[in-house]
Order: sequence, then C-alpha cells, then structure tokens
Amino acid sequence: MKRLASISVLLMLKARAFAVARFPKPDFHSGYQYPDIVHTVPNETFWSWMDLGILTLMLLAAVWAVHRAKSRRIILGISLVSVLYFGFYRSGCVCSLGSIQNVALAIADPGYHLPLVVLLLFLLPLAFALFAGRVFCAGVCPIGALQELVNVRNFRISRPVTVALGVIPWIYLAFAILYAATRSQFIICRFDPFIGIFRMGGDIGMIVFGVLLLLLAVFVGRPFCQFLCPYGALLGLFSRFSARKVEITSPECINCSLCHHACPVDAIRPPSRSSREEAAGKGIKRVLLYLCVLPLLTVGGALLLDSQHDSLSLANKQVRLLHLLQTQEETATLQMAPEVEAFHEMGGDVQVLEEQVGHIRQQFHLWSLLAGGLIGFSVGCRLLRLSVKRTRKTYEIDPVACVACGKCWSYCPQNKSR
Amino acid sequence: MKDRKIYRDLALVTAVFALALAIMLGVSWLQSRRSTPLQSQVLETLKELHESHPENEELASQIRQLDLLSRKAYFTEKSQLKSGVWILCGMAAILAFCLRMYYKDSRTLPGKELPAGDEWQDKTLSRRYLQWGLATGLGVLLLIILSNALQPARFFRQHEAEPLPDVDNYAVLDEETQATEPTQTITEEPEQQAVRPMQSVEAEPQQPVPSAQAAETTPQQPAQNAQASEASRPQQAVQGRPASEEARPSKELPQVATEPSVPLPVVKSRAFRGNYSSGRSSAKGIPTSWDLSSSRNVLWQTAIPRHGYNSPIVSGRKVFVTGADERARELYCFDLFSGELLWTATADNIPGSPGQMPEVNEDTGLAASTAVTNDKQVCAIFATGDLLCTDMEGRRLWARNLGTPDNHYGFASSLQMYGNLLIIQYDNNDKAELLALNVENGAEVWRRNRKDKIAWSSPVIAQVGDKPLIIVMGNPAITAYQPRDGQEVWRVDCMSGEVGASPCYANGIVYGASEYAKAVAINAEDGSVLWEADDCLPECSSPVATKECLYVATSYGAVCAYSAENGKVLRQHELETPFYSSPVIADGKVYLFSNSGKCYIFSADIRFELLNSFDTGEQTFATPAFTDSMMVVRTDKSLYVVRKKE
Amino acid sequence: MKKQAKQPKGPTSRRDFFKTCGTIIAGSGLLAVGGYLAPRSSATEGDSMWQIDPELCLQCGRCQTECVMPVSAVKCFHANQVCGYCDLCGGYYRANVKELNTAAENMLCPTGAITRKYVEDPYFEYTIDEDLCNGCGKCVKGCSSFGNGSLFLQIQQEICLNCNECQIAKVCVSGAIQRVPVSKAYRLKDKA
Repeated sequence: MKRLASISVLLMLKARAFAVARFPKPDFHSGYQYPDIVHTVPNETFWSWMDLGILTLMLLAAVWAVHRAKSRRIILGISLVSVLYFGFYRSGCVCSLGSIQNVALAIADPGYHLPLVVLLLFLLPLAFALFAGRVFCAGVCPIGALQELVNVRNFRISRPVTVALGVIPWIYLAFAILYAATRSQFIICRFDPFIGIFRMGGDIGMIVFGVLLLLLAVFVGRPFCQFLCPYGALLGLFSRFSARKVEITSPECINCSLCHHACPVDAIRPPSRSSREEAAGKGIKRVLLYLCVLPLLTVGGALLLDSQHDSLSLANKQVRLLHLLQTQEETATLQMAPEVEAFHEMGGDVQVLEEQVGHIRQQFHLWSLLAGGLIGFSVGCRLLRLSVKRTRKTYEIDPVACVACGKCWSYCPQNKSR
Repeated sequence: MKDRKIYRDLALVTAVFALALAIMLGVSWLQSRRSTPLQSQVLETLKELHESHPENEELASQIRQLDLLSRKAYFTEKSQLKSGVWILCGMAAILAFCLRMYYKDSRTLPGKELPAGDEWQDKTLSRRYLQWGLATGLGVLLLIILSNALQPARFFRQHEAEPLPDVDNYAVLDEETQATEPTQTITEEPEQQAVRPMQSVEAEPQQPVPSAQAAETTPQQPAQNAQASEASRPQQAVQGRPASEEARPSKELPQVATEPSVPLPVVKSRAFRGNYSSGRSSAKGIPTSWDLSSSRNVLWQTAIPRHGYNSPIVSGRKVFVTGADERARELYCFDLFSGELLWTATADNIPGSPGQMPEVNEDTGLAASTAVTNDKQVCAIFATGDLLCTDMEGRRLWARNLGTPDNHYGFASSLQMYGNLLIIQYDNNDKAELLALNVENGAEVWRRNRKDKIAWSSPVIAQVGDKPLIIVMGNPAITAYQPRDGQEVWRVDCMSGEVGASPCYANGIVYGASEYAKAVAINAEDGSVLWEADDCLPECSSPVATKECLYVATSYGAVCAYSAENGKVLRQHELETPFYSSPVIADGKVYLFSNSGKCYIFSADIRFELLNSFDTGEQTFATPAFTDSMMVVRTDKSLYVVRKKE
Repeated sequence: MKKQAKQPKGPTSRRDFFKTCGTIIAGSGLLAVGGYLAPRSSATEGDSMWQIDPELCLQCGRCQTECVMPVSAVKCFHANQVCGYCDLCGGYYRANVKELNTAAENMLCPTGAITRKYVEDPYFEYTIDEDLCNGCGKCVKGCSSFGNGSLFLQIQQEICLNCNECQIAKVCVSGAIQRVPVSKAYRLKDKA
C-alpha cells in the first residue's frame, strides 16, 4: 500500500516537473549577474536549547524560592520574567503543556521524530515535581505566571464544586493524547487561551476566551491551572509523591486559618475533626465498594469512548477528506470543497486513501479505548479518594493542588514572627 | 490611604479606556476579517470589466484609484491594529498593577471569617457531584449514540455498505428498463419502434456509415455489415422519414411541391459535426465551389433571428440551429429546401433559469452549444443552463435548468444523443459532470461526477467493435464511459490548459488534441496511448480522422494531416488564417472554413492536397452539416445551403 | 497507588510506605518514558521547522488567511535561476493584460509587492518585497500556469513562530506544509 502511494506520488511529481520550464534561461549580453538572495534562518537550535537552559535555571530558582527563601517576591519576579520571556518574547511554542502531545505521538508512532528539547521540556518539570512539588507552576510556566500576576482577590468557590471540576484536566488530557497519538490534532495548542494574548494575534475566539479567563483570574485564583490544565494534572500526580513538599511554615502551626483563606487554589486543608460517628465497618465497606467501581468505570469508560471512535476519527484530516469525497460523490450538485479539488488535482487514489483511513480508524480504535479507560480510571480514583476519611491536626498543604505560589507564607503569623 | 484612592481612580480610568479600546479593536478586527480591502469584490469586477473594454480610460482610472485606496486601507489597518494591541497590553499591565496596589493592604485580614467547614461533609458532597456529573456525561453520550444509531446516513456504515446496494441498484434498473420497454412500445405507435432505446442502440451505429464511401473510411467494418447496411438502406429510407409527423407536413406544405423531384434526404447530421460527432458524413455530390453573391450553387440564404456560434444539424428536411441574446434563447427550425423558418421554440419560463444572463465572453456567446436530435425530439442547451426539448414540430416536450454554469467564457459543450439518452458534458468551474437524461421526459438516467476541470469540449460516441462508448475530453483526461450506466471504461490523463476542441474517433482509435497540451491517439478498446504529438494543435476547431489520417486545423493558421499510425505530420499547410470551425469529411474531401469565411477543400487521403479554396465573404465559425448532395452552412449572421444547380 | 494495605502498620507509616512506592513508580515511569524516547529523539536533531514543499503547493490561498501571524509568515520567494525574465510575466500581470505597463488594472499582486527592473531587451528582473507580501499566492499561480514557476511560496523562518502544530498545515489542501530539518529550512527552487 505504501509503495503504491509512493509510486503515485512519484508519477505526480514527474507530471508536475514536466509542466515547468516553458521559457529557456535567458542569455544575457549586458553582463547581468543573478542577484544573490540570502534567506536567513533563525538559529532555531540555539534558541531551543536556550529556552531549555532558561527553563532549568528558572526551575532551580523556583525551587530555591519555594523551599529555601520562602519568598513570594522572588516567585513573582520569576513569574514576571517568565511572562516576558517565554510568553511575549518567545511567543509560547513549544511549551511543556504542548509537549505532552509530542510525547504521546512519539510513543504511538515510532516514525515521528521527537526533538530532544521537546522531550526534555516534557520531562524536566515532571522530574522537578517529583522532587520539589509543582515549582513549574509557581512561576516558570508563563500561563500560570500571567494568571498569578493579574490575581488580586480571591473569592472562594465551594470546595465540592472545585473537587468535582478537578476531573476536567484529566478528560482534557485523555482527549489530547487520543488526538495527538492518532496524528489528528494538537488540541492543547489549538485551545490554548493565552497564546493569542502572548502573540497579540491569532484566533479571535481563543483570545476572547483568554481575556475572559484572565478577568476571572483577577478574582479567582488561576482558573486555567485549576480546572483545565492537563499538564497540571500530571504535575499534581507527580507532586503527590514528591520527596519534598511545599510547606507553609515550621511545624508550630497555631491553626489560625489565615493561610487557608489566603490560598488562591484552595490547596490548604484545615484540621479535620471526625465529627460524625459512623457504624463500625461502614467506612471499609464504602471503600471496598468504590474499589469495585474503579475497574468498572475504567472498562466502561474505555468501551464507551471506543464505541464513538468513528465519530471521533472525523477530527483527522485524512478521514475528513474521505468523508468529503464521499459526500461529494453522493450529492454531486454541491460545490466541490477545495480539499476534494486538490485531491483530484494531485491524482489522489481513493482506494489508497480508504486504506489509510482504515489504518487511522484502527488507531482510533486503540487510542479511544485507552483514553476512555484513562478518563474512567481518573474519575474512579477521585471517587475512591473522596471515600476515605482522614484526620488532620494542623493546616496542611495538599501537594496535588498546591501550585507553590507562596501566598500563604506572608499570611502565616508564625512566619512573620520568625 | 490617599495612595489607595489614587490607585483606585487610576485603575478605573485605565479599565474604561482599555475596555473602549478593546471593543474598538475587536470591531475593526472583525471587519477586516469579514472583508479584507484587498479582496474587494468591486475592484475585481471592475478589473474584469476592464478586460472586455480595454479602451475605457475612465474605468482604468477608477480601478487605479480604488486599488490605491484598498491598499492604503489594508496597510493602515494592519499598522493600526498592531499599535492598538500594544497600547491595550500596556493599559492591561497598568490596570493589573493598580489593582494589586489597591488591594495590597486588604490582604492581612480575610474579608470575612470563613466557616471552617466539615471536611467529610465536603467530601461526601464532592462525591455526589462527581456521580451526578458522571451520570450526566453518560446520559449525553448515550443520547449521542442513540441519535447516531437512529440516523440512517451514518458516514462509515454507509461507506461500508455502499458497494453492494449499488450493484443491486444497477441490476434493478436494468430489469426495470427491460420490463418497462416492451409495454411502452406496445402502447405507442409501431413506427416509433425503430428509435426505441436499446434496439436502436444496436441498429443506429450503422446508420452513419451505410454507404460505400463510409465503408471506405472505416473498412474495419466487416463485409457482411456493409451488406447489411446496404440492405437496410431502402428500409431506412422508408423508416427514416417514418415519423408520421414528418411525412404529413411534406404533403401539406405547398412549397415542397415546387421541388417534387427531390427525394427526402437520407443522410442526416443529427449532432455537431454529423451523427455522433464523427466529423464524417456519407453525403455525396457536394459542390466544391459556390458563390454567395451570385447565388451560384447556393440554394438559399436566410438570416438567423438571434446570434449564436452553434452549428446547424439536419434531420430529414429540417435544419435546426439555436440563437440567443439577452432577451431570449430560441431554437429555430428551417426548411432544408426553401430556407423558410418553420417554427421557433423559445426556452422561457424554465424553473431555475437565472434572471440575469451569466457573464460570457463575446467569442462564446449564449448559444455556443449545438443542438441534437434523434429524428423524434430536438434538444438545445444555452449558456444559462437552460435545456429545452421539443418534438419535430416545435412543441415543447420538457425543459429544465441544469443550474447556471459557472463558466468564465460561457458554456459551450454541444449535446449528444445515444438512443433515447441525451448526453451532456457539464464541465464547469463549480462542478464537472456527465449527465444522461431520458430524452422523452428529461428525467435523469445517470450522472457521473467527473474529476476534471472546466472544458468546452463536446462528447462523442465511438462505436468500438460492438460496444458503444461515450468519449469525453476534458482537462486533464480523455475518458470513456458506458452509455448504459455511465460507468467509466478507461481514463487517460493527457490534456492540460483550456480544452475547447472535441475528441474524434475512427477505426478503433480515439484522438484528442488541444492547444497547450498535445495530440494523442488512444486505443479505444483499452485506453492505451498509441502515440503523442505536439506539432500542430487546435484551439477551438475539433480534429477529424479517417483510417489513415488525423486532420487538424489550428487557430494560428496551420492545417495538418497526421499519420494515424504513428502521429507523424504527413502534410502541413500554412494558411495564415485562424480556424474555429471544424473540418468535416464528406464525399472523400475535407471541408474547412476559416473564421474569415474562406472555404478550403482538401483531399481526404494521406496526400492531403488542397483541392480548392475561395472566399465566401461571410465570417464562419460554425461547422457545416451535410446531407444528400447538400451542405448547410451557418455564417456569423445567416444560414445557407449549398447544392449543385443543374 | 490505592491498594489496600496488607501489612499491619499504623496509618502514618502506611501512608509513608505508599508514598515511597508512588515515588518509585512515578520516578521509574519518568525514566522509562525518557529512556524509551531519548535514543530516538537525540538522533533526530532536525525536523524542527515548518516549510512548504513548492512541488505540492496548489496555491489555494489559505496561507494568507490561516497563519497565526497578523500578516502571514508565508511569503512569495523568487528563484532567479529558474525565471525566464519575461516581459509578459504571468506572475506580474493579470491573465488577460492588454498593455504591459504598471497601471493598477494590469497588475496581479494585490499589495504591489512585486517590483520589476529592466535588464536588457527583452528581459526584466523581478523582485519580491517581502514586507508587502501577504502570501496570497496569486502570483505563484500565475507564474506556474503560464511561466517557469520561478515564483513559489515559502514560510519566512524569520517571521514564523514555529508553532508546535502549524495552523496552515492543518488546513493545507495538499499537505504541502511539513516539518523540515533546520539545515533545509527553505526549499528553494534554484538551489535544489
């Protein structure tokens, strides 16, 4: 099949090459010299390694600011640098958020060349999260930094709602992986609300969305990071097991609850009193129930999403082309779409395309199973975690939710007195 | 405290300004998206208008002004947008800073004491929300699945199931046609049997080549075939004017009585360039010289009411041409012997017909397509997409609009008929397709989507062995279709540019030639290319072929004879006058008109001698039609018939 | 990560145990991804910039409208070595031009980005002003259908933001926009 495709491409190239060179090369007598036009290429390699270097430096600086200096001022400084450099100067691409998709594609398709820089962009913040919590979110990520910089007040959303909304990043992540692995679309890049602001141009819909999110960010802490960011979901997972957690203060917490009020992302858990008494064994039963539900949800999610893999596959360009070709065939009166016209002009073979589409649909089959499973699993895990009672004596930081913005430090009276 | 107030005021002012600026920018941005000044429709229309009126200075200066304006608008818009966005960003930064400063002091104390909250209660509530969300998601998904399942036109399911029902459909169609045919023939007049679809398909191919001369040009035909056609000739002569409607007027019309000695012509020219557009006629006794001014060898000459570049067709004693202008589109029927306009059928009141005439080139006009007949019905098409079908008496049988063609020169493909199938090559900018309509009621029999671009070529019927093929030349392919169901038999990519000439067929070979492309000879059996040449290529004029030669007339004045065997140019005449009319072979000679109206007559053999040439004095773009010892010629304004005078 | 504990341990130490397990799993996961992808990615330093393959480009006009830049990063390039230096240039003049002068009604480029200079009879040199060019591809279409095809569209790498996924590539009708190595950042026709 591939050979067929390459042969047809060769033939087409020949036909096209045949079409040019209608006029002979002029024979100049006046000593005319061909102008030497040089098209400059920016040193992309240099810049990408430069980005990586700056990212590492800023991550290190953030680690120092979060764990050593405990200074929000430094974190804000880092944020400003990040917004200016990664955001406005480098205009965003490629970022760690987007690199999820490149990595997913590289895993799914061994033929895809993943630049090392992109791989490192993906791995570095995760590695840092494993050792020091979400320092990437603190100020290194320009998206988080921008939201942090505009945030002035925090109006708290009801905690149950935020917890429930917390599954959205996982769903987003699952779809991002599904579409990236099948080479259909990079939806994280496509629906990045802030890239348009950094570039001062682009898709108007996304810019409006970004501006609305920023307006929201003035009163609610980091709405994108909390409720949308797929990379944040991964970072949260890694920082759950991080070796060194972000701490509010030295152990002598006086339970004043100031930090709890200050936290923009509601990551500080108050001391919990086991207020309600339950019959013995009821808690265990509940946990067991949710343990049984977990695989059910996983399998159910996988099967459900898989049942839709045909419709999902329409996001792929090739599949859409075949779809267009077929609708064109059926309703011949419709105006020919430019894609269809181009397909015919290039001497495309419908049979080859059909084979390709069949292959793509197979991929969708596999990856929608996986993505559906991921969604089901993440929801199941969340339910399971919510069914376990925990006791806490002091105010503690939930490492999954904490973005290490450092706001709580200045609120803590114990810190002040130190 | 004072500082706070300043910051608050500053924040308010910047917020108002930023909001106003953002709205302004948004609006202007949206406007620029909707209609970029560079893609101004007005400017483009003006430029096109200027092309047809290059001398109009006022128009030119208007274009220049508008062009300058639009470019100015484009670039200032871009720069304004850019600076506007920068200002907006600056304002946003100031706003954020002011707000921060304003709220700086309020941070030490929380706005109000938050209830500590019961964590377990929160968790339970969260779980419940999650479960609700899950249930809603599940419900939505199920709804989608259900609606998808209910929808019959699902993309993939349909796609998988497609091939089978298709085959069934064709089988059903076949059965239907077969089943309905006998009943129809029974109910109708017995004379009409001769022209029934499938039988006539079998019988008709022999009709254009019944005479010995035709047998000579296509000697591939087996001997018994010639005998058979010879034998069928008298029969046809009877059947040829069978249609009672045709016999009747000939009795009733008194003018005809003035020519009692002339039998009704047997040879017909049913389509553009003769029957099946072969370019060859079995007519004999055509004069090799005539003079319009002195009426030497000219039977009659009469003016055609409305203009058109289409060619005459002849059936029995009727000559059909069409004409059109802004006001009307008409099909005319002239008497072959007297030149009297027998009737006029107007293509009006057709649903879907455009109110305004489509833009056409002056060199194409609104009536460039030649009409077609099967001795029972006449069909004509115009550049508006209006298709009209009448009986031989001019009574409208049906009419429909095929959709206004998007054609920058004007639709020009001529009609073709095969049995009761009306075949239309409808290659336009918006779509390219081949249609086959039932000539009796205009119903669509089949429709093939073509992968080609716009062309002005006309379909041709090739009788290859015992199977007929519709040959369609387009850009970039010459394609053969089966008349029965429109299935593609073969397709050869060989053309490019604007294809105006039609293909031709002789002796098992399909020929196609077009300027900016090449001349090709294709084995009609399997679509293999026999040879290619690019010495002498036509623009509008269609080539004609015999067993030995392919004759081509170009728009730059060269007229050539290619060898049918290998594509070598056997003979070339440099006549230095453009040819739009197509050569036609009759009586062993090639008849060809130049645009200025000069007639050239060559010998239709490998020597390709110029036998005679003379100026007729009237511009001629149409291709003549031949019938027994007569030739019908359409000039720019009039129609005349050439016949030897005793 | 949420398995029930079998060991009879206190809640805190059990949690610590889980955490350590999780750290190890997460760490090894990271290492696995890195180890799996690194050998393949390090070898392929290139393929990092977007570029148009002029052989495939059909000049559909989407480059002008789809780029994330306010004015598209796609520009018309001119290969002098391929150019026929014609007076009647299909990329410079409109198709049915009557007079060969620079009057607006005769020009093809909507922004006036093509300038020409007389060289010697009958040759003219054509130059593209990239600041004015908006990548609409009209001249490219004209040149490739009437001339040698010396005008062609390319992504100007100085302007291109090198998005992770090129917005134009996503809608390109012929799949002409592909990733290329930095060393071949332009697909020039005269230096093939």
